[in-house]
This record gives sequence, structure tokens and C-alpha cells, in this order.
Amino acid sequence: MHDQPLLDVSNLTVNLLTAKSAVRPVDGVSYSVRQGECLAIVGESGSGKTVMNFAPLGLMPTGVTTMLSGSVKLEGRELIGLPEAEIQKLRGKSVGFIFQDPMSALNPVRRIGRQIAEMAELHLNMTSKAAEARALELVKLVGISDPAARLRQYPHELSGGLRQRIVIAIALAGEPKLLIADEPTTALDVTVQAQILRLLKDVQRRLNMAMVLITHDMGVVAGAADNIVVMYAARAAECGPVDKVLVSPRHPYTRGLINAIPRREDPIGLEFRGLPGIPPTLGAPIKGCALAPRCELAVPACGNSRPPLVRSDDSAVLVACPVVNQGKAAA
Amino acid sequence: MIHFISKRLKHSLVLLFMASVVCFTLVVSAPGNVAVLIAELRGAVATPGYVEQVEEEIGLNKPLLMRYVDWLGDAVRGDFGISYRTGQDVSADLANRMLVTGILIAGSAVIATLISLALGFLGAFWPYKLPDRVSRGLALLGASTPTFFVGALMIYAFSVTFQLLPSFGFDGPKSWILPWLTIAVLPAAVLSRVVRVGLEEAMTSPFVLTAKSKGLGRTAILFREALPNITPIFINALGTQVGLMTATAIIVEPLFAWQGVGDYFLAGVRFRDFMVVQACLLIFLTFFIVVNLIVDLAVLLTDPRIRRQWS
Repeated sequence: MHDQPLLDVSNLTVNLLTAKSAVRPVDGVSYSVRQGECLAIVGESGSGKTVMNFAPLGLMPTGVTTMLSGSVKLEGRELIGLPEAEIQKLRGKSVGFIFQDPMSALNPVRRIGRQIAEMAELHLNMTSKAAEARALELVKLVGISDPAARLRQYPHELSGGLRQRIVIAIALAGEPKLLIADEPTTALDVTVQAQILRLLKDVQRRLNMAMVLITHDMGVVAGAADNIVVMYAARAAECGPVDKVLVSPRHPYTRGLINAIPRREDPIGLEFRGLPGIPPTLGAPIKGCALAPRCELAVPACGNSRPPLVRSDDSAVLVACPVVNQGKAAA
Repeated sequence: MIHFISKRLKHSLVLLFMASVVCFTLVVSAPGNVAVLIAELRGAVATPGYVEQVEEEIGLNKPLLMRYVDWLGDAVRGDFGISYRTGQDVSADLANRMLVTGILIAGSAVIATLISLALGFLGAFWPYKLPDRVSRGLALLGASTPTFFVGALMIYAFSVTFQLLPSFGFDGPKSWILPWLTIAVLPAAVLSRVVRVGLEEAMTSPFVLTAKSKGLGRTAILFREALPNITPIFINALGTQVGLMTATAIIVEPLFAWQGVGDYFLAGVRFRDFMVVQACLLIFLTFFIVVNLIVDLAVLLTDPRIRRQWS
């Protein structure tokens, strides 16, 4: 059981159909997370990283038809094709979610205590009294001072950092095995970001959970994750252990991302080293490599066919770039 | 909280005073002369001399300001004067009628609340599906049918055709049902849209995604998460509708031959009976202001964000 990944995603494709349009925000992506491990999924806005994690668990806005193909296995159980009623039972119980904006993620007119306690009532079959006690425990666990008073308060009475701690407490309340954190620090103050990240990392280790950390902040990745998947235009560009991918990025997109981080020795007034161009829209199918129009390494052959993920000279790192992979066999 | 109530009470008093001025001015500037009508009522020929005599008798010859001050002075003590038409004490006439109209409006408010919540939830639970369309259609129908016509339909259906309920007068608790329903139709229709739209907006809020991620089902999310969020909006809209019910009562009470404030008001208007009209208007306005005060307090109690500003 232990060598089997807790979450095993392979060749996942997501198509979203609305009344007017069809997009494919996730196109054949594979990754896995083991118990006690943290996987970072990195990519720019619109690269499909949130949809990839939310869609298989039924967390999509209403009015959108979601079509999934491929395989998503949670503890060996296939999620794709599972009826919504079964997936609902997994949410909160097996998988806890943390959202980007704690300012809007909590119900403004309900007391914090209730919002946490109802999780324990729902998933741990606790009486409301036991659930209140559990809520108090959780609020202490996420490092909030004066916990008893906080439970009686409303979200608007707390700061952003405190609210995010409450959101984390809610996510932990059902004792999940997997935590999906969708840009948990993006909406917070820089000073609070580090605290929240440390807290997340700390509870993940202490409760021996698996965590998927969706982010576009390389600092967050370096500080918290074991493995990384770099997404570009609905596809995985590169994946592998964090220390290897961040230290020696192979894919030109990963390199561009890391190169874009401002450095301390940069002179004041230096222009940002962003990637030139803009990401493609996901409405139309992309034939070759999606990055080709923006890529410094691009050769005409890049536009021919979609580059497969190929094992690089380091066997733990997979890269999808026809130029980097020249002469290597597909993984 | 205390600060809020005292502040709102002060506002209400100022508003009431202004309302009394408007009441008085409107009634006084209405065309027609009550003295002529009184003279005719007494069987006399309304010669200018006799009309003048009547005017002096009931104090119409005094300056306007004095008439206002006299009237207001008595009114704040609960004395609305003597009806020109019947010669009876207006306050005594009103006491029982206020109870009747009060129960009429309260019952209709409860029915409108229940119907609108049911219709609104129906629509929000199956958005853009058949129940939603039915709910929307009923709302459109209810909001666009005039109340007198609704009342006539009710009488035709329940009293004439099925002979289930009495159509006029007061004959036991069953008599309340038709007037209640008739008054409730319009506010129920309007409020059901408030509920439906409010719930839909709440259901697209980010905290509903959180609720979904907790493993809550759709029903639980609607009732536990969305409903508390629309309560303040709903109470506000309900308050407006209850205020407007006074106007509906004026139409519905005569329709069912009920002796309420609305019926009394209408009789007063027909006869240029200033005392009655002024008294009824002032009662309606006071009712409106009190309802608004209650609404503000209720919103304060249901929305912690507003509560905080005042604590």
C-alpha cells in the first residue's frame, strides 16, 4: 500500500463546454503524489493547474459541462466516471481544499465555529458538542491565539492571514489524506505568506498527509514541495524533484520562469526579464509544441507534433521539449 | 445597539412630523368643500349663508396654521377629532378597524413570506429547469394581475364555484383566508423573485465553493450557506411590501365588505371627511415608519457585518 501513490493521475484531459464555447484547459497530464509528499503544480494563470485538480472532484462552477478522460485514482479508486454523490462523500472527508482568497472563501454571516464544526459533524459523525470541541482543537492547531473567542466571531472580524488559517482548519477538520491548496498564499500579505506556508508544511508533515500545492510562486515551491510539475498551456512541460528542476531547469519554459524571478543583485530600474509573447488561447487545438512561438530554442520541427514527456539524463526528471530531448526515446 | 435604536427613533420622529405636515397639506388642498356636503346631509339647501354657518361650526374658518396645530395637538394625544360625516369619535371608530387591518396585513405578510420562499427555493434548486420556469411564470402572473381582479377571481373560484370559503363579511376564521390570499399575491410574486435571484447570486459566491469542498450537498448549501446570506435582503424587501399592503388593503377591504382602516379611509375620501382622511393617512404613515424601523433592526440582527458598525 505504501509504495502505491495516494493520488495517481494519468493522461488526464479536461474539456469544458459552455453554451458558447469549448476549451481544453487540461490536455493529457500525468502526475502522482504519495502519502506525506508535497507536489507543487506551477504555471501561469490560465495554464489549467486549478481545473486539473478541481474538475475530477466535481468542484466546477455550475453551467459548465465538464468532460473528463484519462484516469484519476485516489487510494486506488478511480474517480473518473464515479457518480457525483460518491465524489461528494470524498470531498472534505478524503480530500481537504484550501482556496486562494480567504477574504471570500468563508461565509460572511455564519460564525467561524459553526463553519469548522459542521465538518466534524458531517464527516466524523460527531455530536454538535463534540464537534465544537474539535473545532477548538483545530483552531489551536493552526496557531490562532485566543481560540475560544475566535470561534464565536464572524469572518469579517478577522484579518486575511487569520481567515486563511481558518480555511486551513476547515480543510483539516475531516481528517483528509490529501490536501489540495490552490494558491494558498497568493492573496496574502508578503509577511503573512511565509507564516501560512510554514503552517501548511508543518501540518502536512505532522498529519502525514499528501499535499498538492498549486502556485505560481517559485519561492513557495522551493520552500515547501518535494516534486514539481510545470504546466504550460494545459500540458506538463517538465516534472521531477524540486531540487533538481529548480536548480537545473531543462525545459526552456521552466528556465524562462526561473530566470524571470528578480534577483537581489539586479540594478534598480532594470526591466523584468519576462517571457516574450503571451500564452496561447486554449479554444483552438495546438498542433506542435505550445511554447514554440515564444521559445528561444524553437526550430521549425517544433510545430510538427506535440512533444512527449521524455526522461532526461537525470532519470527522475521528465521534459517535453523536442530540442532538449533530441536523440532520446519517449518515456 | 442602543445607540442605533435611539438614533433611528429620533429619525422616525422627525419623519413622522414631516409626514403629518404633508398629510395635512394634501388633505386641505384637495378640491371640494365638506361644509356643502354636511349641509346637504342635513337636508338643508346649501345656500352660501348656511355653508358659512357650517364652516364656522366645524372650525373651517380658522387660519390653516391654527387648524394644523389644533389637529396635531389632539392627534399626538390619540384624539383624531369627530367625523364630519357620522359625528362620531374618529379614534373610537379606528381602534377596532386598526385591529382588523393589522391582522389582515400580518396574515398576508406571513402567507407572502411562505409562498415566496417556497417559489424562490423551487427556482433556485432547479435553476432554468421546469420548476424554475413555473415559479417565474407564477411570479410574472402574480405581479401583473391587479389586486381587485385577483380578489374577484378568488371569490369566483372559492366562494361561487367551490363554495368553500365565505366571500364577504366576518364569519369565523375562514373569512380571513380569501382577503389574506388576495393581499398576499402581489408581494409573494415580487418577493419570490428576490429570493430566487438572491439565492442564485449567493450560490455563485466563492464561499459556496468552499461549502461544496466540505462535502455539503446542494440542499444543505442552499439552506445553511445561501439562505442566511439573503435574509437581510429579504427582510428589506418584505418591509417595503408590507408597507405597500396598506394601499392594497384600501382596495381589498371594500371588496370583501370588511370594516378596516382602508375601507374607512375610502369612505372618508368620498365625503371629504378631513378628520377621517387625515387620521387614516397618519396611521398609514406611522405604520410605514414603524415597519421600516423594525426592518432596520431585523437586518441588524441578521447581518453581523452591519451589526458591527453599530456596536
